[in-house]
Amino acid sequence: MNNHENNILILQAGELIDGTSKEVKKNISIVINGNSIVDVKPTGELNLPKELEHQIIDYSDKTILPGLVDSHVHLTGIGDGRSGDELSILPDEVLSINMANNAKKHLHSGVTTVRDCGAKNNTAFHLKKAAEMGIAETPRLVLSGRPLAIIGGHLSYFGEEITGINECRAAVRYLIKQGADFIKVTASGGSTKTSFPLRPSFSQDEMNVIVEEAHKFGKHVAAHCHNSESMIRSLTAGVDTIIHGVFKEYDGTNKYREDIVELMLENNIYMNPTLGPGLMRVEIMENKKKAGVFTDIDQEESDMVSIEHEHRMECFNRMHKAGVPMSAGSDSAWGAYEMGNYFLDIEGHVMGGQSPVEAMMSATSIASQSCWIENSVGSIESGKLADLIVLDESPVNQIENLRTVSQVIKDGKFIDRENLL
Amino acid sequence: MSEQKVVKSKILIDMVNDKPLEDGAVIFENGIIVLSGNYEKIKDKIQPDAIIYDYKDKIIIPGLVDCHTHHNGFGDGRSGDEIGTMPDDVLAIQSAKNAKTSLYSGVTTIRENGPKNLTMMRLRDAVNDGLAIAPRMVLCGRPVAIIGGHMGYFGGEVTGEDESLALARQLIKEGVDYFKITATGGSTATSFPLRPSFSKDELYAVTNEAKNYDMLTATHCLSMEGIDYSLDADVDMIIHCNFDKSNGESEFDPKLTEKIIEKEAYVNPTLHVGRARLWSLMEGNDPSLGGFENKRLNSVSITNDRKNVLDARLDMAKYGLDVKLDHCRKMIDMGVKVITGSDSSWGDYALGNTVHETELLVESGYSNFEGLKSVTINAAEALGLSDKVGSLQKGKSADIVILDKNPLEDIKNLNSVSEVFFMGEYINRGSVKSNKSYTQNRPMVKE
Repeated sequence: MNNHENNILILQAGELIDGTSKEVKKNISIVINGNSIVDVKPTGELNLPKELEHQIIDYSDKTILPGLVDSHVHLTGIGDGRSGDELSILPDEVLSINMANNAKKHLHSGVTTVRDCGAKNNTAFHLKKAAEMGIAETPRLVLSGRPLAIIGGHLSYFGEEITGINECRAAVRYLIKQGADFIKVTASGGSTKTSFPLRPSFSQDEMNVIVEEAHKFGKHVAAHCHNSESMIRSLTAGVDTIIHGVFKEYDGTNKYREDIVELMLENNIYMNPTLGPGLMRVEIMENKKKAGVFTDIDQEESDMVSIEHEHRMECFNRMHKAGVPMSAGSDSAWGAYEMGNYFLDIEGHVMGGQSPVEAMMSATSIASQSCWIENSVGSIESGKLADLIVLDESPVNQIENLRTVSQVIKDGKFIDRENLL
Repeated sequence: MSEQKVVKSKILIDMVNDKPLEDGAVIFENGIIVLSGNYEKIKDKIQPDAIIYDYKDKIIIPGLVDCHTHHNGFGDGRSGDEIGTMPDDVLAIQSAKNAKTSLYSGVTTIRENGPKNLTMMRLRDAVNDGLAIAPRMVLCGRPVAIIGGHMGYFGGEVTGEDESLALARQLIKEGVDYFKITATGGSTATSFPLRPSFSKDELYAVTNEAKNYDMLTATHCLSMEGIDYSLDADVDMIIHCNFDKSNGESEFDPKLTEKIIEKEAYVNPTLHVGRARLWSLMEGNDPSLGGFENKRLNSVSITNDRKNVLDARLDMAKYGLDVKLDHCRKMIDMGVKVITGSDSSWGDYALGNTVHETELLVESGYSNFEGLKSVTINAAEALGLSDKVGSLQKGKSADIVILDKNPLEDIKNLNSVSEVFFMGEYINRGSVKSNKSYTQNRPMVKE
C-alpha cells in the first residue's frame, strides 16, 4: 500500500537565500512533505530512508528563495493610472473580477503572500471566498477589508467612514466578524480628493481605541501616514506598521524626525516605505522624455517627483541605518503601478541602501513579521509552509535578477504560470 | 493603415458552402473578414505585409455559437438553488473564469440563459473596461420567473402583467439583449416542472414588449402546457422542450410539434445536461437533487439507503435521456429548427464542453455537417446574429477556430481546438494543461 500522505519532494538548490539570514548558502536540499518544509540541509548530508518514495528536482544552477511576501497591495487597483476616487465608482462585481486577475498575476510573478491594504465594501472577503471555493487562484491573503477612514478621509470611498470612539470600536469589531486579518487605518489624508495629506485624520482617542480593539482580538494594525504628526499619533496609539511614513511637517516641508524613529525603534515597529510607486513615477517621466512628449508642466511635475523621491530615499537610508525593520510592500496596483512588478519596490530598497540580500529579507521574513505570519511563511526553514520561488539568475549581486523567476511553488505545489483561466 | 491577417490551412469549412474547401484561406482586417475561399484564388488580395498564420493540414471553422450557457454555474453537480445563495462578487469572478473557458474552448459567441442579479451585465462592464476577456455575449440578465418559479432566486420574480412588463423594461434599462422566461418550473426546489408558471397574459406582456424593441425571447419549458403557452405568446425559442404531461408521463406530441414549426420557433433540446447527470451518477457522485428529480423520486421511497436512491436516480437519468433522444429525433425528422445550446455550466455539465450537446444532436439524426451548422450558422440565425457570426463570410466578424481533426469525419473532433481567433485577435489560451482542466469525459464504466 502506498502511503498517500507522504508526498516527498526534494529541491536541490545551487544557491539558497533562506529569508532570515544574510548568509547565502550553496548546495542545499530542501525537503518538502505535502505543503510543508520538513528539512533544509547541505545536499551531501541529506540521508533519506531508501524505502521512502520521493522526487528530486535538480536546481543546482539556480537560486531558491522564499515565496515573496508583499506587505502592501491593493488587489482592487488597476494600475493604469486611474485614481482611487475613480476606482471606487466601479461596481463591486467589476472590482471583484479585477481582484481575481490581479491576485493571479501577482502569484505568477512570485508573490505567494499578500497583505491587502484596502478594498471596496466586501470585495476582499469575497475574493477569499472565491479562493477557498477554488475558482480564484491567489497568493495567501492577509486582508483588511475596508480601511478605516474619517469622513472624507483617504480611502473613505471604500465604505468605512467613521467618527468617534464608538464607531471606531464598532468598525473594528465588524471587520473582524467579517474575517479581517488586520486593521488598516488611514491616519492621514492621501490621494483621495476630499482628504488632507498634510494633516492627521483620526484623533488620538480614536486611534487609541482602534488599536486597543484590534489587539484585543490578536489582530495587528497598519496605519497610512503621509505626514509626521500622523506617525506620532499612530505610534502613540501602538500601531504595528507605519505605511508610507512620509516625514512632512504641517506646512509641507520635508524633515526627517529622529524622535519618530526613536519611537519606532523602542517598540520594534515596522516601516513599509512603499518605494515602488515613486520609482514608477520617475520611470514614467523618463519614458516621456525619451518619447519626446515632455512638456513644461511635465518638467514641473518631474522636478517635484524627483525631490519627493530623493527625500523618501534619504529617509529610507537613515531609518535603515538606525535599525528600523523595513518591510517591503509594493502598494500595487495603486495608481500607475501594475500588479506583478513587486521586484521594482524591492529594487528600491537596494537603491535606498540595503544590500540585495537584505532587500530580499525585507520582502520575505521581515514582511511576514510585519504581517504577523512569520510562523508560517517568509523563510525556508523546517516547519514552514512550502512557498518558494526558483530564479534562473542569482540576485545576490544583481537584485534585478529577481525578475528571472522560473518556478513558483505554493503549498508545496508548482504553480502553472501559463494558466490563463 | 489597417493590419491585415490571413489564416490558411488545407481544409476550410466556411459554413457558407455545403462542402469544405481545399487549401482555404480567410483574410481579415480590423476584426472583420474581407475575403475567404481557395487560397490560390484569393492570394493576390493578400497585402505584402499581412501576418500569415499557416496551419498546414489543420481545419479552419467559424467560431462556435452556444445558444444556452450559464456563466454563473460550476457544472460540478451543485444546484441552482445553491448558486442563488452565493454573493454576486463571487459569481462575477466565476463568470469571468467561465467566459475565458468558453473562449479558449472555441466558443466565440454565447447566449447566457440566466445569472443572478446583475452579475453578467457587470462582466460585460469589466470586458468593456479591458479588465476581462469573454466571447461575444448575448445576455438576458435575470430570468423572468414567477414567485418560487424556476430560477426565481436569481432576482426576477414577478406577478401579473404589470410587474412582468415592468421587469422587462427594467431589464432593457440594464442593457439585456433578449428575455429569458421560465414558462414552467424546473430544478428549482420550490418550482413545479410539470406545470406552466406564468399565465398566457403574463407571458405576452413580456413578449409584446420584446417585439417593440425587436428583441428575441426564449422560454424554459419542461412540460407541454408551457410549450403551448409560449407558442401562443410568440416566443422565439423553446428551451428543453420536454413532451411531458402534467401527470409526468412523457409522450411525443406531433401536433404540438407542428405548432412549433408553424410558429417558426427554434428548439434548444438540452440533451447532454441529462447525460452529464447520468455520467456523474455512473461515477458514483451524489449530485444535488433538483426539484424535478425530487418530485419524480416521490415514487421511490427516500430512505437512508443511499444505494437505492442512487440506483433509482441512475435508472431515471437513463430513461430520461432515452426519451429526450427519441423526441429530439422525431423533432428533427419533422423539420423543427433544432440548434445547439449546451446549458453548461448547469447541473453536472461544465462550460468548455459544448461539443457534447452537438454530438447528441448528431446522435438524434443530424449529419456531422448539420451538427456543425447547429453550433455555427444556424445557432447564429437563432440568435439574430447571422449577419455577424456563424460563418466565415465577407463582412462577418473574424471569429475563427483552428481544429486538429476534422469534425465532418466525427463531430467529437470539435473538441480538438488548436487555436482561437476572436474579432480578428489571436487568443493566447495559456498552457495546454490548463485547457485540459475543464474537459469532461465519458466515464470509463459502461453506460
